[in-house]
Amino acid sequence: MPKKVPVRLRVNGEEHELHLPPQRILLDVLREELNLTGTKRGCDLGTCGCCTILVDGEPRLSCLMLAKLAEGHQLTTVEGISPAGALHPVQKAFIDLGATQCGFCTPGFIVTAVAFLRDHPGATRDEISRALSGNLCRCTGYVKILDAVEAAARTLAPAQER
Amino acid sequence: MHLDAFDLHQPTSVEEALALAQRHAGKFDFLAGGTDLLPNYKMHLNVRPHLISLDHVAELRAFRPEAGWLGATVRLRNLEGSSTLRRRYPGIAEAAEEIATPLVRASGTVGGNLLVETRCFFFNQSYPWRQALGFCLKADGDQCHVVPQKTRCYATFSGDLAPALMVLDAHAEIAGPGGRRRVAVADLYDPKGDGVRRTKLGPGELLVGVQIPPGAEHLKAKYSKLRVRPSFDFPELGVAVALEEKGGKVARLEIALGGLETYPRLMRAQTSPLVGERLTEERVKALSEDLVKAVRPVHNTFLAPDYRRKMTGVYVRRAIGALRSGS
Repeated sequence: MPKKVPVRLRVNGEEHELHLPPQRILLDVLREELNLTGTKRGCDLGTCGCCTILVDGEPRLSCLMLAKLAEGHQLTTVEGISPAGALHPVQKAFIDLGATQCGFCTPGFIVTAVAFLRDHPGATRDEISRALSGNLCRCTGYVKILDAVEAAARTLAPAQER
Repeated sequence: MHLDAFDLHQPTSVEEALALAQRHAGKFDFLAGGTDLLPNYKMHLNVRPHLISLDHVAELRAFRPEAGWLGATVRLRNLEGSSTLRRRYPGIAEAAEEIATPLVRASGTVGGNLLVETRCFFFNQSYPWRQALGFCLKADGDQCHVVPQKTRCYATFSGDLAPALMVLDAHAEIAGPGGRRRVAVADLYDPKGDGVRRTKLGPGELLVGVQIPPGAEHLKAKYSKLRVRPSFDFPELGVAVALEEKGGKVARLEIALGGLETYPRLMRAQTSPLVGERLTEERVKALSEDLVKAVRPVHNTFLAPDYRRKMTGVYVRRAIGALRSGS
């Protein structure tokens, strides 16, 4: 029997008590134990950004985090970015501007963009492009993704300045 | 990709971490950001049965840029985001923001970048890939495929912070079973080693942090990096320069190079003759030619070794020019 350790995770505001081998990777636990399959497994080596989630509000690669070491942190996946049934302005902009093709990288882009625009409302296209440089998309050529995040930045800026 | 089973330890102090390291001597790795170690573990590269997480060791997280102290587990994102660090040590901020991607920098740490595993075509590959070739000297085998022989590994040092710290004469604080010691970052690496073990850290020693000495904030400093994709890749060449001129003459000039060989190098033999001299265009050109002659990259990264050598001269000339013109 592989050794298991208790792991308590707080994901999208919900507590989960699990028993897992200590080598289990957070991404795998989110997808396979908690059925939160919005977070994607791309390269699995920290290169593509598809597995991005928020850890205490900061974007992090869940494929390079041990689940056990995520204890004590607030985890937010793409499922928890907006209240149930509602869309975050970044998600709405992705739909309105057709910023997805196959869609596989989309959750990672959205999570990274949501955190970046929260800290940098009204960011320029160049700043957005740098902030998203750890997320890879193999379909779109990035133009529509940048268009969407830029549009969301314009939506969010006046709201956050008030 | 699944990881092989290991025991995970979560010490809360340096002393506890060292005790665990002694108990599991030769069978453990320290785990900080995990952005280098975990991909390597996923590819079954030199896995160990014990991981000692440094997440809960508060002392290692200390970040005091106003006093020149960078704790070993300070995140790279904190370096690039600190206006104090950028003002006092622009070369370090430049090196930090050029490491990998924002997502890797959110997890990656100062200590992890200083001690980052060297890289090679024949090492950073999946297990079946390496198995098909009979493995290599650095992992599971006894033969180097880059420079065919069985005694020395030629994988390339791919950290960016080390050169930027070396030119400021930063010192690493190391804790071990025998107490604490400080060693210049320039002497942290072992050019006489076999290339597999690249640093002079003892088997049970832990990097606590880095101290930049007082006065370094008055140096003009710059870090420039050559890589294939500017938003992403490991260095094919990293050039750090620190310069102080007084009365039109060189008071201090340090150059450190990374991304070329198994360890980063402080190039004092080439720079020290220029102290007290005027930094004319001819002297800068001669210096850059000396440096090109002194470096020995091998063909184990994306760009050809000869190109990386030539670009060493170009990057040195550009960096000195930029520092002197204030851009």
